[in-house]
Amino acid sequence: MFTVPVLSQIVLNGFVLAAIYTLVALGFTLIFGIMRIINFAHGEFAMLGGFLVFFMLQVANMPFFVALPLASFAVAGGGLVLEALVYRPFYQKELQGMIATIGLSTVIVYSAVLLFGSHQRSIPASFTAIFTIGPVILPADRLAVLTVAAIALAAFYVFITFTRIGLAMRVVAQDLEIAEAQGINARATYRAAFFVATFLAALAGGLLAQLYSLSPFMGTLPLVKSFIVVILGGLGSIPGAAAGGLVLGMFESFVSTFYGLSVAQFASLGAVIVLLVLRPEGLLGRAER
Amino acid sequence: MRMLHPVGVVGVLSLLLLGSGQGLAQEELKIGAVGSLSGGGTDWGVATQRGVDLAVAEVKAQGGLHLGAKAYMPRVIMYDDQYTGQGGTTAAQRLVNVDGVSFIIGPIGSPAVLGVLNVTRPRNVVVLSDGFSPKILVPESTHNFRVSLTTLEFAPAIVRWLREHQPEVKRVAVISPNDAVGQQVVPILVNAYKANNFTVAFDEKYERGMNDFTPILTRILAGGVDVLELDSNAPGEAGLLLRQARQLGFKGTIIQTGGPAVEEAMKVAGPLAEDFLSYEIFDPADPRGAAFIKAYREKHEGPINAYAPIMYNATQILFEAMRRAGSVEVEPVRTSLEHLTGYDTIFGPVRWGGKSEYGIDHQLLTDFLLVRLKNGKVEMVSHLSP
Repeated sequence: MFTVPVLSQIVLNGFVLAAIYTLVALGFTLIFGIMRIINFAHGEFAMLGGFLVFFMLQVANMPFFVALPLASFAVAGGGLVLEALVYRPFYQKELQGMIATIGLSTVIVYSAVLLFGSHQRSIPASFTAIFTIGPVILPADRLAVLTVAAIALAAFYVFITFTRIGLAMRVVAQDLEIAEAQGINARATYRAAFFVATFLAALAGGLLAQLYSLSPFMGTLPLVKSFIVVILGGLGSIPGAAAGGLVLGMFESFVSTFYGLSVAQFASLGAVIVLLVLRPEGLLGRAER
Repeated sequence: MRMLHPVGVVGVLSLLLLGSGQGLAQEELKIGAVGSLSGGGTDWGVATQRGVDLAVAEVKAQGGLHLGAKAYMPRVIMYDDQYTGQGGTTAAQRLVNVDGVSFIIGPIGSPAVLGVLNVTRPRNVVVLSDGFSPKILVPESTHNFRVSLTTLEFAPAIVRWLREHQPEVKRVAVISPNDAVGQQVVPILVNAYKANNFTVAFDEKYERGMNDFTPILTRILAGGVDVLELDSNAPGEAGLLLRQARQLGFKGTIIQTGGPAVEEAMKVAGPLAEDFLSYEIFDPADPRGAAFIKAYREKHEGPINAYAPIMYNATQILFEAMRRAGSVEVEPVRTSLEHLTGYDTIFGPVRWGGKSEYGIDHQLLTDFLLVRLKNGKVEMVSHLSP
């Protein structure tokens, strides 16, 4: 059982899961870190991204690498409307924001049910090639997902670290009053952060749709995973979200291969509880004073 | 010449019209239908609707169902069961208690069928449905009939074919959903494989809704199998399993002794679906189905889901039973259905069976097909009999 082909598949699958979880979790932690909103509708933006990719592929016959960023930009752009209507009144108000986003999540899901129906649907594979390097098998669709995720994460790192708006986001996340005193436009920063967060979620949804299947209810699982990842990595910590995604993805891949998915879910949640007991701030989060 | 009085002319013309063929006393005949118009079985539910509507349209085109001095004009009343037991119960309650229906076509999924039967059995409503659950056909099933084959009927023949045509294969992995359907169907399949000297190396279950099968497939393929059996998986899941197995480098036989889900497999897996073997019920090339296909194509595009001809056939059988009974009352029609053996349909002559397996001969037995996907097309491999 512990052969090179099996272990290589586990590692590859682990990286794929880690990439998708990290994309979703980064957006989730960005919204919390900057706007202090626990966004229960975050998974629904992934779902919308997936459906938009589906229609662009099936109806407009676009190539996947064109449809994916376009769909993500479209969802992020539409998300700004929701930001103005729903999220803006609740910035820095954690409890009220949580309730509002729970309601928004329900509205988005059942709007999708009315529009698209409730049944699962699958996107025809855009990549069917299979590469082999010795005993290691590398399906093209998984390589494509890893490539897109790597580029997105690298671009996000450059954005948050080296751009003025990225710097503004980090400052606002640390101390809103000081940031505004320094002349940073908090509202514009919130909008930019929201756009980036929903773009990442929609990108993850498009990748999920290519690998697996679509339904209006598909956003629940990415949301739950992003919760685990940000708690594991530390709420509000961007490096923590990346580390948490990697740990969770690898752990789930290994455990589900040998013991089944149910055991993997149980074990990953159990491990998070143990970690929080020992280190409440998560792997890379800051301890609360 | 004496002119005819206008009133007299009108009166004579009216009498002539009333006395014409149209003048048979006409009554409405409500035909209930239940199918998944939302939820996981939507493809099957829409196919049910189309099949029933086509059969009813044929009767309407003949001026209705002529029984003695009466002509009955059928009207379909269909409700959505959402592919759930509760949905089936609700649909049946509306049909029986509100609409006053005595005959129901469908549904397909076992939970929905059992939901319908909860309502119809105490009320002696005739039901022609599908559903693999062993609780659907029992000795007490006096008023319900199963109009499509189940695993018990088609699995032994398919597995026997596999043994005869691929003598080198030995180890089988069965992957199925961990629900009522999967739990009931898999033991039948496993027994069929064992009876034909296969080793069932894996009998894996997963929770419905799961779509990343890579971990489960990695474990299975590491154990060395020759055949991957997809049995009762829903079309979308079967397509994903097929695709992901090939992506993991599996080169053995992938077969679905269930479904059928051939179109979805092609759509999801693309070229990776090459050589996929599957059970199929309807042969579009069979001349007996030509009239059905022509009528279907006049109204609908795209591939023909197997449940369209199955439920079209069920509705035709029901109408023929009514003709032979000379009645639309439940008991005469029920008896007539049971004695319909030999009536020619698009699936061949009606043949009821199932006494030894279910305790009652209410299982429609039809020949079926084993098909293979080759170069993006469905290729007929063999005609088989239960």
